[in-house]
Amino acid sequence: MSALLEIDDLRVTFGTRYGEVTALDSVSLHVDAGETLGVVGESGCGKSITALSVMGLIPQPPGKIAGGSIRLNGEELIGANPARLRGLRGGDVAMIFQEPMTSLNPVFTVGDQIAEAIMLHQNVDKAQALKDAIALLDRVGIPSPDARARDYPHQLSGGMRQRVMIAMAVSCRPKVLIADEPTTALDVTVQAQIFDLLNEIQRDFGAAIVLITHDMGAISEMADRVAVMYAGRVIEEASADDVLDYPQHPYARGLIDCIPALGRDDHRLAEIPGVVPPLHLLGAGCAFAERCAHKQDRCGLEKPLLAAHGHHPVACHGIEEGRI
Amino acid sequence: MTALLDVRDLTVRFALPKPSFFAERPHLEAVRQVSFTLEAGHALGIVGESGSGKTTTAMAAIRLTRAAGGQVLFEGQDLLDLDDEQMRQRRRDVQLIFQDPYSSLNPRARVVDIVREPMDLMEIGTPEERLERVRELFALVGLRPDQLNLFPHQFSGGQRQRISIARALTTNPKLLVCDEPVSALDVAIQAQILNLLAELKEKLGLSYLFISHDLGVVRHVCDDVAVMYLGKIVESGPVQALFEAPQHPYTQALLAAAPSLARRKSKGYVRPLKVSGDPPSPINPPPGCAFADRCPKAQDVCRQTPPVLQPVAGTQAACHFPGPADV
Ligand SMILES: Nc1ncnc2c1ncn2[C@@H]1O[C@H](COP(=O)(O)OP(=O)(O)OP(=O)(O)O)[C@@H](O)[C@H]1O
Ligand SMILES: Nc1ncnc2c1ncn2[C@@H]1O[C@H](COP(=O)(O)OP(=O)(O)OP(=O)(O)O)[C@@H](O)[C@H]1O
Ligand code: SF4
Ligand SMILES: [Mg+2]
Ligand SMILES: [Mg+2]
Repeated sequence: MSALLEIDDLRVTFGTRYGEVTALDSVSLHVDAGETLGVVGESGCGKSITALSVMGLIPQPPGKIAGGSIRLNGEELIGANPARLRGLRGGDVAMIFQEPMTSLNPVFTVGDQIAEAIMLHQNVDKAQALKDAIALLDRVGIPSPDARARDYPHQLSGGMRQRVMIAMAVSCRPKVLIADEPTTALDVTVQAQIFDLLNEIQRDFGAAIVLITHDMGAISEMADRVAVMYAGRVIEEASADDVLDYPQHPYARGLIDCIPALGRDDHRLAEIPGVVPPLHLLGAGCAFAERCAHKQDRCGLEKPLLAAHGHHPVACHGIEEGRI
Repeated sequence: MTALLDVRDLTVRFALPKPSFFAERPHLEAVRQVSFTLEAGHALGIVGESGSGKTTTAMAAIRLTRAAGGQVLFEGQDLLDLDDEQMRQRRRDVQLIFQDPYSSLNPRARVVDIVREPMDLMEIGTPEERLERVRELFALVGLRPDQLNLFPHQFSGGQRQRISIARALTTNPKLLVCDEPVSALDVAIQAQILNLLAELKEKLGLSYLFISHDLGVVRHVCDDVAVMYLGKIVESGPVQALFEAPQHPYTQALLAAAPSLARRKSKGYVRPLKVSGDPPSPINPPPGCAFADRCPKAQDVCRQTPPVLQPVAGTQAACHFPGPADV
């Protein structure tokens, strides 16, 4: 049985002033109905590019999908015709972005914008679409939805705007909802409201959710499974419990150990030395090698592939050789 | 012993644009009678949501924003009473670092000159002594001597924060105001900077006024913490007491909302304490407790009478019905 959304061996490149760089390399992910996949990793590791690839929104040029496959319900999206992709976007697959202000149109009321999205994918008239839009605003917890429907985006708080985005995203009951750092700009109490709302929506619609975040705490509370990315590759993938309790890859271990946890009085935080290398300086070996305490010769020469060695899939020579 | 910093009833008011020519100019009270003390060698965390007044409190406490009232006793001397020359002398004792080190570093200056600048401005030491001090600071914050002549854009975000820390330390300050110093950094880099700040505090006996919205970070760095809501401190106390047994419903809500590795979806985690809505507008704050609209415990008295900060089991809380979270 194949999963609802399946990404296989995806490779995305960008033309830059340093020449062609590989932003995503051999990325494979899958998510099923009713499941939440967390995608986590440091800034620039390729989380958003992965999401945009699924949406068919990679700017080409400078970007290029150089290989691999993305299948939704078995249907290949790479190379699908633009009209078909437009139909899927906001229909079967919807996305919520980090900063709702950039994806809402400032000169239309939020009610009109949601109604517009509904009419694009469903055969209803304007009056019905507006009624549906108000019902959706109510559903995502916006007080006095008929009054708010007449507001412009700038008249709403950040949390309200993100709710509007969610209302718009779920207006066509998407099968896959991609949320790219949906709460980064929001306060924690509002973030908690948005997370709770995403969970409710998942229960109502059975949607698959891909939650992109750099916050391991959010992964812990929200995700069933996790993919940890580093420099354009998935370096570890397993259930949230496995990754959080038994991280294998030296980078994943470091990432979890360096979090100052609420209930823990650690004297000194674990550190990962150095920084992520820029894409144009990625060599032939493991991208983490220069920061890794377990580096050996092979690590600098050959890219480790994601494969199950023992506990769960990890891309690391040290783990494969059983020396970590 | 006297505290390094003893802030009493600090109030900051901003004038807003007039809505019309004849209208009265509206004001916004961003900081409302805030009091706290910071002991020498300690770190006091200020947490709270966006717009709660954290930055304004800190800026007013070091006189970079004008206070409308209150006292700021720095080693017993009220900074708000000093004339400009006296304040200039005091400047070397208080320094600050910001969230985004990049925007606070001159892109066209070499980092050696950036770090040296405060000494140039305050005419401290000879040129040779200043350069020596910069080298010393570079080593202290973990930068290499061969990086002295580079420009800010040639550094990563974490290294830029090291540069701004070095610059802040040139004058040997007693107090360092850190406004979201690691919020723009990835966790792996964040850990490097937090460890550096902890090390400097130990080595140099520095005190921090440490602003962050990340409760885990505050718990790690600070000795004491003050929670702000709509311009007021609603709860304060030692980190351990406040994080383990918060008494104010807002602190409890904040802790329940902060994502944590200890809460697992697989274990059927459901958030116990929910607050709805957003904080009220600071322009016409409600007459009673500012949290009353969102508070699960609120009664009539909460909406009418503002609660005052008073000792409750291990912390100080401004609440008519303080007590452990009943969940
Ligand atoms: N238009 C572009 N041209 C060149 N490189 C690009 C372009 N867009 C993205 N990249 C590169 O692709 C890589 C992945 O970027 P992506 O936005 O997916 O990162 P991310 O994991 O979402 O990071 P963040 O957490 O900061 O959002 C980055 O190194 C980025 O510099
Ligand atoms: N110069 C100013 N003029 C008018 N209002 C201001 C000014 N500076 C701050 N404010 C207002 O004062 C209040 C407190 O702002 P402040 O920046 O201190 O909050 P904060 O807690 O630091 O928030 P954040 O977490 O977003 O940095 C806010 O309502 C803000 O809009
Ligand atoms: S004072 Fe009243 S409203 Fe405010 S937090 Fe306490 S109980 Fe709630
Ligand atoms: Mg991104
Ligand atoms: Mg601030």
